[in-house]
Amino acid sequence: MRTVSKIVAMGLIASVALTACGTKHDNTKASGTSDVCTGFKSGTSVKLAIAFDVGGRGDHSFNDAAYVGAEKAVKDLGASCIDAQATQGESDPQRADRLKQLAEQGATAIVGVGFLYSNAVNTIAPQYPKVHFLVVDGFDPDKTVNKNVAYDSFQPQESSFLVGVAAALKTKAKKVGFIGAVPGAVIGPFQAGFTAGVHTVDPSIKVDAQYIVQSGDKGFADPTDAKTIAQTMLDNGDDVIFHAAGLSGSGLFEAVAAAGAGKWAIGVDSDQYTAVPKNQAAHILTSALKRVDTGVYDFAASVKAGSPQTSYVTYDLKNNGVGVAYSGGFIDSYKSRIDGYAKQIEDGTIKVPTDPSKVK
Amino acid sequence: MTATMVSVQQRLGARRILGLSPLTWVLVVVGLVLVPLVRVLTSSTPLTATTTFTAAILSTAPIALAALGGVWAERAGVVNIGLEGQMLLGTWGAAYFNWYYGPWVGLLGGVLLGVVGGLLHAIATITFGVDQIVSGVAVNIIAAGAVDFLSKAFFSQITPNGGPRNLSGLYSLPTVNVGGLDTWLSKLNGRHWFLVSDVAGLVGSLISHVSVVSLLVIALAVLSWWLLRRTTFGLRLRSCGENPAAAESLGVNVYRYKYVAVLVSGGFAGLGGAFLTTVASSTFTVGQTQGRGYIGLAAMIFGNWNPFGALGASALFGYADALRLRSASSLHALLLLLAIGLLLLTVWRLLRRQLRSAAVNGVIGVAFLLWFLLTDSIPKDLGGMTPYLVTLLVLSLASQNLRMPAADGKPYRKGSAG
Repeated sequence: MRTVSKIVAMGLIASVALTACGTKHDNTKASGTSDVCTGFKSGTSVKLAIAFDVGGRGDHSFNDAAYVGAEKAVKDLGASCIDAQATQGESDPQRADRLKQLAEQGATAIVGVGFLYSNAVNTIAPQYPKVHFLVVDGFDPDKTVNKNVAYDSFQPQESSFLVGVAAALKTKAKKVGFIGAVPGAVIGPFQAGFTAGVHTVDPSIKVDAQYIVQSGDKGFADPTDAKTIAQTMLDNGDDVIFHAAGLSGSGLFEAVAAAGAGKWAIGVDSDQYTAVPKNQAAHILTSALKRVDTGVYDFAASVKAGSPQTSYVTYDLKNNGVGVAYSGGFIDSYKSRIDGYAKQIEDGTIKVPTDPSKVK
Repeated sequence: MTATMVSVQQRLGARRILGLSPLTWVLVVVGLVLVPLVRVLTSSTPLTATTTFTAAILSTAPIALAALGGVWAERAGVVNIGLEGQMLLGTWGAAYFNWYYGPWVGLLGGVLLGVVGGLLHAIATITFGVDQIVSGVAVNIIAAGAVDFLSKAFFSQITPNGGPRNLSGLYSLPTVNVGGLDTWLSKLNGRHWFLVSDVAGLVGSLISHVSVVSLLVIALAVLSWWLLRRTTFGLRLRSCGENPAAAESLGVNVYRYKYVAVLVSGGFAGLGGAFLTTVASSTFTVGQTQGRGYIGLAAMIFGNWNPFGALGASALFGYADALRLRSASSLHALLLLLAIGLLLLTVWRLLRRQLRSAAVNGVIGVAFLLWFLLTDSIPKDLGGMTPYLVTLLVLSLASQNLRMPAADGKPYRKGSAG
């Protein structure tokens, strides 16, 4: 045992030595928001539970947008909130278990963030008829209508179209890139809209699209692979790259920031200019907003008002459910053109495609 | 005991250079000519572009570190399935120490957390004689839970960079540009001359703008080989993996050597995790290793429990992975490479009158050749797994004379020597 104690002692000394030296990160201040999802309080109007998707809170993108909605519901509606995190490669029963636990803790409104919760909600919702569910990007997998479930149906192809316009106006190389997490019904519209937007401005611009994985949820939380793909696109001469890959996007931002001036990334879901380190923010041209926060807040408000949302709720350009971010001022000069296209989308003059294989 | 060991070494070691068999060396040399040849034949330049090799190095390093860790533990007779978990702990340790104390301390923090994982495995398997597989699996599960908890506890409050499962914007480590040859080499690489440009691409990736940590990995492989193969310490450590009873009867403190080996193993894996969070990207996320620890374990086995073998097998995995990410279209060219390689291997087997394996190699080789000739590209859905398929095939066909340490995986109790 002498060896063991020696090793333990060495470990302790090493850890003390480690904590003794070095400089602090210039950004450590736990400024601003503290966690609002800390538990239910009795007497609150809405007991909101958020089940996050892979990538989770802190992805500065999809999940954080949902969290912002919860924050607003706590502040403005007097709701209280709990949350739960997902891990990669989960099965539907595991997600159902999580929802069940949230319901058992007394939640009156449960939000499943991401289409992956569709099946789980479909199994759990009938067991808790008094609890209201929302699945962001979700769908009803069978023909039995769930009376206590709402599905937020975003139209991200519309915002993607507009950032595509911005990309086409910004690119000097006439080459732009798209990085998606995984092909399919959720990310496909981003690619389709983006490509259509780029080609509406200039059909000669080449759109280089690549997905991180072909199936599964790994693509939403893999900054390493996203960085390699982004690096490849930059090496090929692309100078504006749009991502729809949640947390993986941080790999893109790193690559673009390292590549220097004149290289741009376009964020997704949240306004990513405000969420990343300063040196990277200088390269974030715009973000294709998907107002998951609005979706979550509206849902909580409807539960509070006693008329909970059910069935499909559409969020598009018309009701500000999707949009374009102008933070940083990099695309201010294109605003009139972007607004022009937005109007045409809203009144139906431009029909934005959702299937990337049908975009020329 | 020495007599057995000497005879074993004579049988296996005498023909080997740097611990690798002649067949492996032939493959390495043939590969050096074949890859450029296929590049020219299929005109898919990404196969040997500097940028591909650069990406390959980033993919290789974490796998290689796990594999080296595996070599250390298993050479001392402890199977370390827990590499994946130790690597996971390393990702968190690197993120935490990097955020608060800078990049270098971050690297050490990754190692430290890996060592803690190794210590857990060591206490269970060496001191208490727990089945090594069971303990390793337990380490993986504990590590996954611990990383979940630790990141929630320590990173939730950091705004805007943190979150319960993530921390981005970590400090990165310096890169070096040896000799300032980068522009010259990449120009040479761009000429696409047979062999010359290809070698320029490989060399360029190794000396221009390469992370110091990547170079450290190569240095660690050399150091491991030297320590394990050329020092008394290494001989004693390996004796614990071959015949611990005999070692103990000669006065070797078996427990101590096993402890050292498993702790070093954990440290290597932890460094691999640190590489993922601070070199390959600057973002920590829960579950970042994504099975690289297990791939490292496989690389170690195909590398015949030898540091250089492990490094080589990891490089093969890394290269194929980089190709998948950088140029999916080049994966198709990989089929031709594989077919030619397999057919050459068939000839080699025929010459040595190993008819059965020649037949197996030949059939698979022809199948790949047909696949290459009859298709224009690999279906996208298959693309993701092609690198692993190719690597496994190459390695399983090339390395058929593997020998694991004789007492690998067997619990040893003090005093067994009687």
